[in-house]
Amino acid sequence: MITALLAGVVLWSLFAETLPPVPLAAISAATVFVSFLLGRHHSHGPTAMDSLARSSRLCGENASFKAAASGLLLILSTASPTPLPPLFLFFFLSGITVVMGNIPVRKYFALFWLPAAFLLLSALTLLWDFYRVLPENEVLSLPFFGGWLAVTPASQSLGGLVLSRALGAVSCLYFLSLSTPLPELFAVLRRIHTPEVVLDLCMLIYRYLFILLATAHDMRDSAASRLGYASLLKSLRTTGLVYGRLLANSFRRAGQCFDAMESRCYTGKIAFLTQRKPLTGKVICLLSIPLVGMTFGMFLT
Amino acid sequence: MTSSEKKILSLSVMVSLAICVPQTAHGMHIMEGYLPPAFCVFWGALCLPFLVAGVIALRKLTQNQRRSLLLLAMTGAFVFVISSLKIPSVTGSCSHMTGTGLGALLFGVPVTSVLGIIVLVFQALLLAHGGLTTLGANTFSMAVAGPLVTVGLYQIGKKLRFPKLLNVFLAAALGDLFTYCVTSLQLAIAYPSAEGGIGASFLEFLTVFAPTQLPLAIIEGILTMLVMMGLQSYAKPELALLQNRKRGLFL
Repeated sequence: MITALLAGVVLWSLFAETLPPVPLAAISAATVFVSFLLGRHHSHGPTAMDSLARSSRLCGENASFKAAASGLLLILSTASPTPLPPLFLFFFLSGITVVMGNIPVRKYFALFWLPAAFLLLSALTLLWDFYRVLPENEVLSLPFFGGWLAVTPASQSLGGLVLSRALGAVSCLYFLSLSTPLPELFAVLRRIHTPEVVLDLCMLIYRYLFILLATAHDMRDSAASRLGYASLLKSLRTTGLVYGRLLANSFRRAGQCFDAMESRCYTGKIAFLTQRKPLTGKVICLLSIPLVGMTFGMFLT
Repeated sequence: MTSSEKKILSLSVMVSLAICVPQTAHGMHIMEGYLPPAFCVFWGALCLPFLVAGVIALRKLTQNQRRSLLLLAMTGAFVFVISSLKIPSVTGSCSHMTGTGLGALLFGVPVTSVLGIIVLVFQALLLAHGGLTTLGANTFSMAVAGPLVTVGLYQIGKKLRFPKLLNVFLAAALGDLFTYCVTSLQLAIAYPSAEGGIGASFLEFLTVFAPTQLPLAIIEGILTMLVMMGLQSYAKPELALLQNRKRGLFL
């Protein structure tokens, strides 16, 4: 609810005096309402994105190409000097991710809830600056500790630019992470000669993560059924105990895994097999549109 | 403005700040696309020496003692898991631990920086939290600066003969606070304020994020302390392994 209100306030300060007050109020109120509706279902588990990526229809496409194109688009989006190209990128890539990847729209936009709190809070500090003397061209102002908190057209354009860059970049990140499972990205990293020991660690962490999550959930459930989270002090103690026990258990499990690997001729090298996925015309066409558009956008502005 | 008016105004600001805490409070990750490209490169370059030292230390560690690779992987998975689970918090919102202080106390700064960057990549791709362009900045604040302070404070506390658990609490909580200060500084350098420059902008970012980050630091300190207590009672052999290798600090 509070994040929804914050979204309304940021939108109001962003477009104050560039839009007439009545439509602006309507847009801000609509934003509050929509963000409130989206935010009610924002709780997604740590494995939600992984399972969405595996069920995406774009999962069968070549991972190296997707990673390279998303990386380029990320750079173009953050380097964009005007707010419009990243906004177009946001709509285009969100469309691809949702329609071509067959990801539920609601789940996709619920993912934006998490960075929203950070984005809105920091947009607020970009928009509202402290001035000792009220600036002449202020758009909105509030008295504050003997000075003024004010929004100026300059801060509005900076806020708009940063917001749109961030939206564009997040849509690139979501395109990649909602269409490519992590092990395929590690295979791409292996191809660009990332140190073996780091990739081995990544792969092992990815495998253990699901086991640990399941164990942690079981431990929390059993602690909750014994009223372990009844008060703040109790829940702090329980959380500490659960985490300590979880880490101790995982150390023990690591030992057992090592014994199992040793008995299967582990020599210090872990080989992972990945499925070969050919580059198709569809993904080249899809991603070359925003790439060409963003490059032109950069040169034109 | 009279003094009573000023008092009422400052009280109202405090109340509004306390109420306007967003519902979720993670450790403070800068989101994807938020920093201009030059700053992304700058912070990434600053992390590079620590990462290279970390990879060298990791290679040596895993060559000498292969078992430690699995131990490290488990710790990495553990840090990711605790950063994705909710922890109890004072304001009723849900918060999440960062967990890098724990890693620093167990394995030292270089190894933690490598573990930290891996966990940050996982968080960006699996939890939509943080990002790839801001990876350098986030790695610097969470996996380099925070752990450096944690380890430094732990060493000082050890010399001053503080009780072990109090020392762990102080080191983890202050390390977390320092992370939040560094992130605010990173944001302020990228987007200085129109009138007051970087200093004013730094103060603004500190104020806006304080309501979520201050309680989080204290809770992180308490939980790190409790996890260490748990480790001492349940995982003595593994702690002894770390002690023999002279890698861990919490010994």
